[in-house]
Amino acid sequence: MTSANLPSVADLPRGHELPAAHFGLGADDVRRYREAVEDHSSAYGQGPDGPAWAPPLAVAALALRAILDQVRLPAGAVHAGQEVEFRRPVPVGVFVRSRARVAQRSEMRGAVVSVIEFDVGEDGSATPAVVGRATVIAPRGEAPS
Amino acid sequence: MSAEGVPEVPPLSRRVTQEGIRRYAEASGDHNPIHIDEEYARTTPFAGTIAHGMLVLAYLSEMMAAAFGDDWLAGGRLKVRFRAPARPGDTLTARAEPRRARQVNGEPVFEYGIECCNQRGEALVSGTAEVVVGRSR
Repeated sequence: MTSANLPSVADLPRGHELPAAHFGLGADDVRRYREAVEDHSSAYGQGPDGPAWAPPLAVAALALRAILDQVRLPAGAVHAGQEVEFRRPVPVGVFVRSRARVAQRSEMRGAVVSVIEFDVGEDGSATPAVVGRATVIAPRGEAPS
Repeated sequence: MSAEGVPEVPPLSRRVTQEGIRRYAEASGDHNPIHIDEEYARTTPFAGTIAHGMLVLAYLSEMMAAAFGDDWLAGGRLKVRFRAPARPGDTLTARAEPRRARQVNGEPVFEYGIECCNQRGEALVSGTAEVVVGRSR
């Protein structure tokens, strides 16, 4: 499915749940992320192929990617705010599951303000390791970006 | 330590480059053209490419991870607003201002005001960070 065929974030009603996404958090994924953000911190421990733990914001960023695989941001959409809470480290090399839902939706001067809640945890775990809320402001009826 | 017993956190500086933004787009999967297509971005109100907000937020998280290590990974919290875009060529500085220490469910929590400013001192991202101390042990 191309991005143009995806529903706009502005069209999703409050309470809408996106399908759960599964993705791997491999050593290469983490290495690419750390190189991109120039994060050379030793805070993530040492595993056989690099750090033992993923930078927690990498986990959140990949959860947001999973959302963008399912929702279109129309041209002019703005990521206005972000909350994220790290509840436990996520090991490099695991598969994780992310879930997302539209927690709030309001309209203001022709724009839609949506708050997307998400959580991420290792496959099979009962509780999330990372939870977050992204606030997105998107124009109504705009062409896709 | 600050007056309220909350430890200082060393600031962190990073220079934003278009190549770095491109690498972040690849790593995160966020290929929105406002970040990577300079011709397109010039036609937008931003008049040029801008960094992903999550890239700038990564600098704040790295700063806190460097200060608190495992405690940040097991008990860190960020709450921010993206106020203005970071652009290629900007030099950003992430800072944390100690605010207070408190107990939450019997666990000590340190709270900071945080911001990431450009070389002109403009706050591009601002908000709060909290860390539960000792949860990782």
